[in-house]
Amino acid sequence: MALDLKVNGTAHSVDVDPTTPLLWVIRDHVGLTGTKFSCGIAQCGACTVHVDGQPVRSCSFPVSAAVGKSITTIEGLSRDGSHPLQLAWLELDAPQCGYCQSGMIMSALALLTRNPKPTDADIDTAVTNACRCSSYHRVRKAIHRAAELMRTQKASA
Amino acid sequence: MKRKDTRDDGERGGMGLDRREFLAAAGAAFVVGFWVPPKAAAANIPGAVWYEDPTVPEINAWLVIAPDDTVTIRIAQTEIGQGVWTSNAMMVAEELQCDWSKVVSQYASANRDAREMAPEWTLNVPGNGGTDPKGGGTPEFGNRARTGGFGIPDSVYRRMRTNAASSVKDGRYYLQLAGAEARERLLLAAANDWHVPVGELSAKDSVISHTKSGRKTTYGKIAHLAARTPHPNPEAIAIKSPDQWTLMGTEQKNRDLPAKVRGETVYGIDVRMPGMKWAAVKSCPVYGGDVKSYDFDAVRNRPGIRSHVRFPIPDPKLTRGRVFSGGVAVVADSWYQAKQALDAMPIEWSIPPERAAFNTANMHAALIAALDKPGNVRVNEGDVDGVFARSKRIVEATYSTPYLPRARMEPGNATVLVTNDRVDIWIGDQSPQETRFSASQITGIPEQNVYLHMCHLGGGFGRNGNGPQAEQAIMIANANRGTPIHLLWTREEDFIGTTYRAMGVARLRAALDDDGWPVALEVRTGMQKDGFGPDASFDIASRYFVPNYRFSNHTTDFHVPVGTRRGVGQAAHEFYRESFMDELAHAAGKDPYRYRRELLSRTKLPFKNDMIKALDMAAEMSGWGTPLPKGTVRAIALEERGAETGGSATISAMVHTVSVSREGKVKLERVDVAHDKGFGLVNPLSVKKQIEGQITWFYNDAMHQACTIANGAIVENNFHRFPLSRIDEDPPEINVRFFETGHWLIGMGHDRGTSVQSAIGDALFQITGKRFRDLPYAKHDLTWA
Repeated sequence: MALDLKVNGTAHSVDVDPTTPLLWVIRDHVGLTGTKFSCGIAQCGACTVHVDGQPVRSCSFPVSAAVGKSITTIEGLSRDGSHPLQLAWLELDAPQCGYCQSGMIMSALALLTRNPKPTDADIDTAVTNACRCSSYHRVRKAIHRAAELMRTQKASA
Repeated sequence: MKRKDTRDDGERGGMGLDRREFLAAAGAAFVVGFWVPPKAAAANIPGAVWYEDPTVPEINAWLVIAPDDTVTIRIAQTEIGQGVWTSNAMMVAEELQCDWSKVVSQYASANRDAREMAPEWTLNVPGNGGTDPKGGGTPEFGNRARTGGFGIPDSVYRRMRTNAASSVKDGRYYLQLAGAEARERLLLAAANDWHVPVGELSAKDSVISHTKSGRKTTYGKIAHLAARTPHPNPEAIAIKSPDQWTLMGTEQKNRDLPAKVRGETVYGIDVRMPGMKWAAVKSCPVYGGDVKSYDFDAVRNRPGIRSHVRFPIPDPKLTRGRVFSGGVAVVADSWYQAKQALDAMPIEWSIPPERAAFNTANMHAALIAALDKPGNVRVNEGDVDGVFARSKRIVEATYSTPYLPRARMEPGNATVLVTNDRVDIWIGDQSPQETRFSASQITGIPEQNVYLHMCHLGGGFGRNGNGPQAEQAIMIANANRGTPIHLLWTREEDFIGTTYRAMGVARLRAALDDDGWPVALEVRTGMQKDGFGPDASFDIASRYFVPNYRFSNHTTDFHVPVGTRRGVGQAAHEFYRESFMDELAHAAGKDPYRYRRELLSRTKLPFKNDMIKALDMAAEMSGWGTPLPKGTVRAIALEERGAETGGSATISAMVHTVSVSREGKVKLERVDVAHDKGFGLVNPLSVKKQIEGQITWFYNDAMHQACTIANGAIVENNFHRFPLSRIDEDPPEINVRFFETGHWLIGMGHDRGTSVQSAIGDALFQITGKRFRDLPYAKHDLTWA
């Protein structure tokens, strides 16, 4: 069954079982592998993408529910790594193995989109992605730094 | 040593056979989905960092310099988040004196390593001993050859294994030498070209200068000449001592992070090949079990389903002696199709009844019972029994730690293509030499024809954590010759395929004198017989002085495959030791910091002053002794490895400031870390990151994590039952300070932060009055009134 999807602004038509989790459609049919599989039960957040601006755990989100909506993955954040989140992540040297970081960044993006100046407590509540390297210490600093960069960007825009 | 250089064709990124050869090979094989491996197939994936043949002649096996001055450095260890991609490149670049901004890292070829011996000059190790002023020390290559037996590989890249926090320590000699040898040859080539004495030339940031004539050239321009200029006496080349470092010792960000924040890094799971099929597997959940029967016909007609492969228990000689399980794979066009079919396919297991009889309760009871049986006595100093018999004051405590998996974020996977005379494997792997051996053993194809295309790993945390991912994939691909097979484990399967840190128990008993100082100590530890690090922290001598000391370990035979999980035996043993020190200090009515300090000062251990320095610095950093709000306390502990040897060691101390609410909510508020830097850290930034990460890793262990066994199988097999600490449990404040010690460091990638375990236990005791001796703490009632 052909389903029409819009991923990072580009239209895709995919022929899959509509119950297939969005994660596998993004990775195997659309061909974007930045979004990761880890638990398969919406626990860890490695598969976090945005559907109409809302963060979802795509391993447990049927592709049929994303039809007609706007899907954003890590690859859609910026073409050249110039998004404030990516810049802040590099400034703080935040990732270790990096496997969870696409999802971590997408969760942070969702937070900063609705809350441009989050507190530590806001971060604790909103960014519930798991990282086995425990890069959290730098991720927290990077979120604050990205918030700062985004506010500056907005002010100068 | 006899040198053998048979590197005539090398690896060509997924291409080894030309089309004609491949057709000939394929003709004799069972081919599903005919496919010719094109040169560019997997090599062109953006973000892939596996070995590719250079377009210009190399200088030596570790580096290639392109005409535009780009220096490609080949890394023989695997990037698992520990920063080896950067630190090992720094060691080469330091000596090469090249422009660091133009350095690119790439994996070394494990195939070349099967074909070529190490150059003799890399075997010429300068210095000897842990305190070598040249910054040397005897490198430890680990004690395992690729087959899992003992011995140091003398193949070109020596030890390609990534384990035991050893990549920097073991690699440094030959990596610095590799950079130095190349630099000397570049200088020599320029001197020959200009007809000037080489001694008049200098090299900096990839530029060679002749001051007298004002001539300059770059590495990129001279590299083709250097590639043809041998060094007359490479054995005489010396590496720089730490006081000469300019790049090493500086904080350098990880070179691979730009790709990671763009989602472009190619992990094993991301490998895609034309014609590739996906395999989902189920193996018997009870180790040592196998498939009795299954009904592929029930799922055969589902969309995308191609075939099924039953695979046996991987030969234990390929899995470091561990017995995993037999299982079955379903092969399909997409992984999700394969996985769904597998879930729907009826499977009956054949489970040895004696293995199904294991459960956590009877295993724990067996470990405790073993403590009362005669054990392997490792140390017996003084008259332990006599002192206990005469002593009026005895403190005894029994501690327990559970089975713990690595649970790295990237589930096990491997992509394998077997043709009749060649195996290609795309994988994130902490022991490529062993995987190469496995591939050869399973397929009958010589190791010289096995090509590993290395990917970054989504977490490591112990070499054996790779489990039999490669072996299963090779078996499945071997049954589908000619088709690239991508095996991917579910999270549940990853919990079956990993190895575990052995469940452990320890009974510590001390006799105290009238002032509360220990006069006798008996330590009995118990774990599964093939558990790793049974002696750690207690062997040879007690760290804290007691005149009469006995240490014995007591083993039991269980069926769970155990391996070198992050921290190995050290993590459990430091929990036992440091928890008991706290208990003794409290029993003696003394301050736990000063109690430890006094007992360290009484020892004759070679690094006792460094251990005291660590404690003093951490205590001072933390404001030890200054008032804290009610429900918040400090706890201190020592972390050391090798302190008794006088050779390599890593020593640190941490003070943990912990709060516990009346409702029992634990918060690690602040950590003050005093850490040994030996005679110099290669990349202090990656050391800090390792320390930060391990603090929360061990917090997670201490508070939440445990795998239990029921009917022989692991119960907690996904993250809803095996909780992972999130950002809210990361301490808001971590302060790290380094102190110089002058010895060679063992490494800090896996056994730092162990002190969190005892510190939270002691904080709970101080605040709630309750002492918990079995981990994890979250299973206990932590409330207080």
